[in-house]
Amino acid sequence: MNDFSNALSVTASGLKAQATRLRHVSENIANADTPGYRRKSVSFQSETNADQGVSSVKTGQVSLDRSELKQIYDPSHPMADDTGHFQGSNVDLIIEIADAREAQRSYEANLKMFEQTRQMSSSLLDLLRR
Amino acid sequence: MFENLDIFRAAQSMAIHAGKRQSLIAQNIANADTPGYKPLDIKPFSEVLQSNPIGKNASFSTLPTAVSTLEPFTINGSESPNGNAVSVEQQMVKAIEARRQHDQALAIYKSALTIIRASLGRR
Repeated sequence: MNDFSNALSVTASGLKAQATRLRHVSENIANADTPGYRRKSVSFQSETNADQGVSSVKTGQVSLDRSELKQIYDPSHPMADDTGHFQGSNVDLIIEIADAREAQRSYEANLKMFEQTRQMSSSLLDLLRR
Repeated sequence: MFENLDIFRAAQSMAIHAGKRQSLIAQNIANADTPGYKPLDIKPFSEVLQSNPIGKNASFSTLPTAVSTLEPFTINGSESPNGNAVSVEQQMVKAIEARRQHDQALAIYKSALTIIRASLGRR
């Protein structure tokens, strides 16, 4: 039973981490047209729980993408400089969509494990009903 | 056969083994995107069983301790650029194996229980 509750807590940490990742991706997509916005990316790290002996996953610090901001030519824009350019965001929608899809796949894998562990422990408890 | 209830002990060990493995697989899948993480696994139950004496008077008395003291080892596979070596597909297959092993162990346990109940004259 202890193994099962460990498995459930680790899986829950995985679900939470993937959901956080997806939240940052949606922030990036929502701000794709915000001038001067830098894309946020989140890293994962494993965290070993000493008394359970299992390593769950958690999200680390959020880092900003330091790459060059896009220069957009629009002289009528309020933020345009002397040359008529202003800085856009460095969000690439294709990368964000791919990242979102990967987060979704990992989330599904975790969910599947959660469901299976739950079924295994409930079939174990069924032994008591006889 | 039922003096020592060996069959229950064997089925119990098998179920414990499946549970342990399931827990490790859950850990591997949760860490499928963690940089530098290597997947863990334990010896298959058949290998544990073979290291115990099997014969006509097989006793599984050492089996529960053998299963509970199993140490997980890391598997080195093809790494992705961030140093992570978890293959979600492989872990899914292992998860199904663990599930089947667990179901099998519980089925053996239930069936042995039914035999004992029948011999006691209860249904």
